[in-house]
Amino acid sequence: MKKTALSLAAASVLALSVQSAFAQDKPKPPPAWHQGKPAAMADSKLAPVPGKMTETPASEIPIDKLKLPKGFKAEIWATGLVGARAMTLNEDQTKMWVGTRGIGRVYEVTNEGGKRTVKVVAEKLTQPTSVYANGALYVFAIDKVLRYDNAAKGVSGQPVDMTKAFNLPPEQHHNWKYVRFGSDKKLYVPFGAPCNICEPPTKEYAQIRRYNLDGSGMEVIATGVRNSQGFDFHPKTGELWFTDHGRDWLGDKGPEDELNRLAKPGQNFGYPYCHAKGIVDPDLAKGKKDACKDVTLPVTTMGPHAAVMGIHFYTGTMFPKEYQGVAFIARKGSWNRSTKFGYDVVTVKASDDGKGAKVTPFATGFMDPKDNSFWGRPAYLAQLKDGSLLVSDEQLGAIYRISYEAPAKKK
Amino acid sequence: MPLVLRQGRRALLAALFIFAAQAHAQKGGDPAACAACHGADGNSAIPGTPSIAGQPKIFLENYLVMTREGLRGNDVMRGLLKGVSDKEIVALAVHYSRLKPKLPDEKIDAKLFNRGKDIAVKNRCASCHEKNFAGREQMPRLAGQREEFLAEVMLQYRQNRRPGGDTMMNAALHGIPEADFKALAHYFSRLK
Repeated sequence: MKKTALSLAAASVLALSVQSAFAQDKPKPPPAWHQGKPAAMADSKLAPVPGKMTETPASEIPIDKLKLPKGFKAEIWATGLVGARAMTLNEDQTKMWVGTRGIGRVYEVTNEGGKRTVKVVAEKLTQPTSVYANGALYVFAIDKVLRYDNAAKGVSGQPVDMTKAFNLPPEQHHNWKYVRFGSDKKLYVPFGAPCNICEPPTKEYAQIRRYNLDGSGMEVIATGVRNSQGFDFHPKTGELWFTDHGRDWLGDKGPEDELNRLAKPGQNFGYPYCHAKGIVDPDLAKGKKDACKDVTLPVTTMGPHAAVMGIHFYTGTMFPKEYQGVAFIARKGSWNRSTKFGYDVVTVKASDDGKGAKVTPFATGFMDPKDNSFWGRPAYLAQLKDGSLLVSDEQLGAIYRISYEAPAKKK
Repeated sequence: MPLVLRQGRRALLAALFIFAAQAHAQKGGDPAACAACHGADGNSAIPGTPSIAGQPKIFLENYLVMTREGLRGNDVMRGLLKGVSDKEIVALAVHYSRLKPKLPDEKIDAKLFNRGKDIAVKNRCASCHEKNFAGREQMPRLAGQREEFLAEVMLQYRQNRRPGGDTMMNAALHGIPEADFKALAHYFSRLK
């Protein structure tokens, strides 16, 4: 058939099944979401929480509902960033970039004179995230890596296409990437398992890698990682601490999400056979006695279906001393659970080698346990130079600033 | 492609573009622009064009935003949504979510209908799309939808060629033969 411009433009409009007889099936995707759903839960109506894809003005954000420890205050810092996820800042913090998932945008926030303005600097991408590294902005989508050079004063011009050098695998499910620039000048990139629970289809998934900035020197530094959505380097040891989501469809109790510590490259964190603190997978490791052998167990579990996202070790001086070196972790909140869990920011206090971890709620009130409703989904954290802490809210496309002022002493 | 089908397809294309051209003359965020193809009451009379009356608000919002962003939908819809604001999209979604889906075609192939019903039960379609298949939140209404549209969309999902669609649907339809989509489509399209 001769392809005219007209028929090309309309090809996707026409839903004539006769077309499909000529289309070849692509390789089949691994069953992702309801795979691993046991017969007993087959009729469960639990489904992922839909994201909000339209702008929310500040006047419609119930920031007053946030509850914080005494002396802390939350305010709306920026709005209009639909689907806001990970934040990355330039050296003087006058520019911030914020990636998204479904809506395909990367935003640039200009922070000047106490005001924020937001614009879209990259769009039409499949689940893009961004990281500022070495004066450039790197944008990682599922199928693309773009580098915007000389980005410190704002992104402009065409990016350099780095896709080939990074050789990303094709699956989308669990493959949105949190990317971090290390003090070793390498980019740290996670590759989730493209399913709920499965043997990964290739050896390219369920791991964390690092690359040189030009995409060379790729190393797999952690394996058995189901779906890490955030990491930070420990301020004293420099070790990588990362969050990881537990599998679904094993009931309300878990297996719980994890906070892990990579003490040396090459450690295995258990997926798909061993979850949380040693739960053997009933589907893939049934009767397997050594499912947890040589598996590095988490520093702490982080709650059932909590959806642990960004982690940030606090290094500022604005917050009281007891927060020094403490990890702040955003829990976006559950879907695969009959009552909601998470929807908060917690702190994790542990020794430098990850012993004696204690999880304490810090920012709550995004969710109302009384009627199982929620309004916000805290996703990522960033620290400003004054020591205040920014929290991105993926649901309402906003960023909140949390600051501290010591309560006046009573006489 | 057989000649008859090719001609039929050309005629359809032409019709579609006349409608689209009419729609373009309207303001993008105006329901009148949608009416040209999707029907004034949100019930489509055009093969391949879905009915949108009674679709869940979140589903409509997400579809419209993703399409405007160029990540979902088709060129006609992308063109129509160019420059349409979030506010206008929310208003459209509210409008169409409140319209009543028209009563489905009464001509039922009982054998195909029942087969479709069995397949829907086996594949737990109702766990997301609801028992009455009216949809909820980000999950579309299937009841009363155009039959040929449903069959084609399911096939597109299974073949990973539905841009911007939820990858969960690709997985949910994994391994289901095309003949089963036709039965499912017949069943859903005949539900109120």
